[in-house]
Amino acid sequence: MTEIGTLHYLVVAAALFIIGTIGVLTRRNVVIILMSIELILNAVNLNLVAFSRLYGLHGQVFAIFVITDAAAEAAVGLGIIIAFFRNKETVNVDEVDLLKW
Amino acid sequence: MKFINDNILTIVVFLPLAGAILLAFFPRRDRDVRYFALAVSLITLLASLHLTWYFVRGQSGFQYEENVPWIPHPNIHYHMGVDGISLWLVILTTFLMPLCVLISWKSIGDRVKEFFILMLVLETAMIGVFVALDLFLFYFFWEATLIPMALLIGMYGHGRKIYAAVKFFLYTMIASVFMLAAILWLYARTGSFDFVTIQGMIQSGQVSGFGNAALWLFLGFFVAFAVKVPLFPVHTWLPDAHVEAPTAGSVLLAGVLLKMGTYGLLRFNLGLFPEQARRNAPWIIALAIIGIIYGALVAMIQPNIKRLVAYTSVSHLGFVVLGIFSFTQLGVDGAVYQMLSHGISTGALFMLLGMIYDRRHTYELSEFGGLATPMPVFATFFAFIMLSSVGLPLLNGFVGEFMVLSGAFQAKQLYGILAATGVIWSACYLLWMYQRVFYGNVTKPVNSSLRDIDARERVSLWPLAIAALVMGVAPMLWLHSIDPAVSAALKQFSGVTQAAVLPARNSPAAPGPPLHADFARNGVEVIGR
Amino acid sequence: MIPAVDYIRILPELVLSIFGIIVMMVDPVLPEQSPKKPLGVIAVIGVLAALAATAYQPGFYGSAFYNTVSVDTFSVFFHVVVLLIALVVILISFEYLDVQRIRSGEYYALVLFGTVGMMLMSAAVELVLIFIALEISSISTYILAGMRRRAAESAEASLKYFLLGSFATAFFLYGVALIFGATGTTNVYGIAHYFQTQQASVLAYLAVGLMFVGLGFKVASAPFHVWTPDVYEGSPAPVVALMSTGPKAAAFAVLLRVLFATGAPGWFWMVWVSAALSMTLGNIGALVQQNVKRLLAYSSIAHAGYLLVAFAAAKQVGISAAIFYAASYAAMNVGAFAVIGHFASEGEKYVTLDDYAGLGRRSPLLAATLTIFLLSLIGIPVTGGFFAKFYVFSAALQSNLVGLTIIGVINSAIAAYYYLRVIVYMYMRDERVEAPVARIPAGLGVGLAISLVATIYLGVMPGRVLDYAIQSAQDLLK
Repeated sequence: MTEIGTLHYLVVAAALFIIGTIGVLTRRNVVIILMSIELILNAVNLNLVAFSRLYGLHGQVFAIFVITDAAAEAAVGLGIIIAFFRNKETVNVDEVDLLKW
Repeated sequence: MKFINDNILTIVVFLPLAGAILLAFFPRRDRDVRYFALAVSLITLLASLHLTWYFVRGQSGFQYEENVPWIPHPNIHYHMGVDGISLWLVILTTFLMPLCVLISWKSIGDRVKEFFILMLVLETAMIGVFVALDLFLFYFFWEATLIPMALLIGMYGHGRKIYAAVKFFLYTMIASVFMLAAILWLYARTGSFDFVTIQGMIQSGQVSGFGNAALWLFLGFFVAFAVKVPLFPVHTWLPDAHVEAPTAGSVLLAGVLLKMGTYGLLRFNLGLFPEQARRNAPWIIALAIIGIIYGALVAMIQPNIKRLVAYTSVSHLGFVVLGIFSFTQLGVDGAVYQMLSHGISTGALFMLLGMIYDRRHTYELSEFGGLATPMPVFATFFAFIMLSSVGLPLLNGFVGEFMVLSGAFQAKQLYGILAATGVIWSACYLLWMYQRVFYGNVTKPVNSSLRDIDARERVSLWPLAIAALVMGVAPMLWLHSIDPAVSAALKQFSGVTQAAVLPARNSPAAPGPPLHADFARNGVEVIGR
Repeated sequence: MIPAVDYIRILPELVLSIFGIIVMMVDPVLPEQSPKKPLGVIAVIGVLAALAATAYQPGFYGSAFYNTVSVDTFSVFFHVVVLLIALVVILISFEYLDVQRIRSGEYYALVLFGTVGMMLMSAAVELVLIFIALEISSISTYILAGMRRRAAESAEASLKYFLLGSFATAFFLYGVALIFGATGTTNVYGIAHYFQTQQASVLAYLAVGLMFVGLGFKVASAPFHVWTPDVYEGSPAPVVALMSTGPKAAAFAVLLRVLFATGAPGWFWMVWVSAALSMTLGNIGALVQQNVKRLLAYSSIAHAGYLLVAFAAAKQVGISAAIFYAASYAAMNVGAFAVIGHFASEGEKYVTLDDYAGLGRRSPLLAATLTIFLLSLIGIPVTGGFFAKFYVFSAALQSNLVGLTIIGVINSAIAAYYYLRVIVYMYMRDERVEAPVARIPAGLGVGLAISLVATIYLGVMPGRVLDYAIQSAQDLLK
């Protein structure tokens, strides 16, 4: 078995990033899109922490900021989704069509 | 007096704008608004007469120059000045303006305040175009004429006014961005927007890469001016704009705005790119001649009088372009003179048409006939102005056309012959139109009870009629300040045919009277031929 | 120990945050369902105080908080621009909120917090702080976009803005993470040092690309512009006034830092293509619009394109052109949306071109004001828009970007058509709908006067502002 190095983390992060991006672009449920965005953010965190092995604590501090921000974003995002749901009774982006998409 | 002399151009340019701003805060009483606009335009006229009074004749360079830094980076100067060419175009503008106010007195009854604000803003921009010597400043004013004119057409016009306004705007706007690109290129290579500086640098070959770009730069400027003139294939906006525009708009459009194009050709295309101008002259002249003949032929079959007169502009401005690109002293002198005289004659024609429109609300030729009976004074004015436009000797149109044709003959006989046919055509269509409108019996009963023109209308016509006559019998009054400026402009065209060239014309210290006599002799010789 | 002078270097941000908190604390004290205008007044005072604090800053240039904030001409310039935008937006909101029956006190607080984020964006020189500032401004605007809670369009706009905005942030962050990996630092100057001394790796190119994508979303440049028309159409007009100028200007400031100050490699063609695409797609899209807000949304895409032309130009002159453009675009666009918000009336009913027919007659003053802003957007002389465009293209030609300049000037000629259409409707067509026009209230009047004066001032006397822009460019590159 080879030792798990920085590169492995990066590959996993890249995979997460791609999965998240594809999720945002193809899924139709708003909540799942939101989760996909969170996936990308976690890919970022993974990257930052992995690079911290090379460059010191910088990256880990950054990751904490990102986690905090993701929480704030999720809170606001869910609030917006609820406001939207009240108006339209749906969370499907195909039905987000009052304005031309 | 020194203060006035140093700042006279600023005063002339910005007086109308100041008037417009004051007018914006004026109470909405139409009568007062009209009087105020008239007063502003008259004061501007007076101020501009100062220019002619103290203008040193027989001198070639720019006078009344004002040159102060405006914006340090990029290097933009507030640089203005007039020479013998632009001086008279400025006077033409300020001269036509009060008449336009008068002619709009009653025909504009709605949104009067806005109308006169637009007119005054337009005046500032037009004068600015003629006096600007900084390319940035020039472009600034050039673009600034666009909006007021488009709004005048679109707000106060008739019929398909929106179509006409948008067409006018887009044609000019799209064409002038190419000029902008050319100006920016010149700035990128010379670090200056100053006309005189750039001209000097081009002449002494200090502009890197100029050789390859010159053609494109020439075309960039040319397209903008050709659309404005308008030259043959890009003239289609003009008839529409004219027909739908309110009378004052037509007068200024024909009288001044078109001259901005020919002035630009003369000042910038010839001034900055003499080599390219010479190389491209053949096809430009071809377009000009096509314009002369095409304009005349199309004018002949128009059922709409205003459209007819609009096409005469295409034809007459073709003469101007022909004169400019003949590169002969006589031709260019004539072109400048023709610009002025076209402003007077066509401006007056549009005013006359406006008077008839006020009475009948139509321009259709078939609606008229025998108007000379109910409106004798009107018919007389119309005949006089029409003859001046046809080019009857002793009236203004003749001088310019004759000089242009002589110049064209000097350049190449074929040009002269082809263009001369245009003169014949123009006599045909105008006289035929006159016959159909004024002679014979009154064909429509409504026409028999038409009022003749009243005092206000006469007041607005007399100055033009007098100007047409004076310009016809005493062209020297104008030519001896135009001539030196033209020969300075042509200095770069070494080896051009310079008939009727005066000795010592270019020396600034040349005394006035002998020059005058000398040129007069030549001129009389030319004109009396 | 943090030296006291550091606090002066973030004084405007501090002042504005404090006022934001005050607004939030006063809100519950006010009687429920009462108009929230007093909060607006507090907000105005806050912005003015922050402006005063900014004016105090030029004596204290330097970096603060362990090199995360840099106060220089560049940051001060953008502080002033952003604060003026906020000031006008708050002023025009007074009446707007009343008319739309929006009774949320947090509106003003969110505007203030958003502004704090934008100011920090222009001052931050550490990617961590840039990211946080970006989020402060973005999250505030996400919520503001949905402020017309009863209108489905507003909620929808908010949702779209949120989804695409956070998606873009995620891209930006991924880029930041990669550049951290490539260079070992997240400080702008540290990165600059790295790029000066070492060969850039593939990772660095990838990182710059991702950051550009993320910021491209924020500034609404093509091909990342698709959200713009929808969001602008649905959001409340004053909020659009804010988000089409403030966050955009701030995001451009960040972009300037990220692309120029770091000396990052390999973005020239990216910017070139994005500029050309934005101008073209924006203008073509705008040609067919009937809704004025949507029309201006496309126009804002096009303007992002003009601004990117300046990015593609050479450093010094290009940066100052971009800065100047951002300022004059802010002036004219805020003004235009202010007028639109006023005309829209309750429920934003009157926003199509047909509703604008005959406005020149019904409301000459406002119509004339809107006309001036539109002329500025076209780029007609005497307005800031003209000079800004002139300066950008002049910068581009000085850098031999002939192709891009020609695309640009042709585009600006095309653009004239759709702006002119609005003017045509206002002045040359007879009215079809009986859209009422209320009198101009004081707040709107002052707000419009500020943007009008700024637009004309930048067009006639751009010299001083240009000097600041040039100085800013020097400070940015030092």
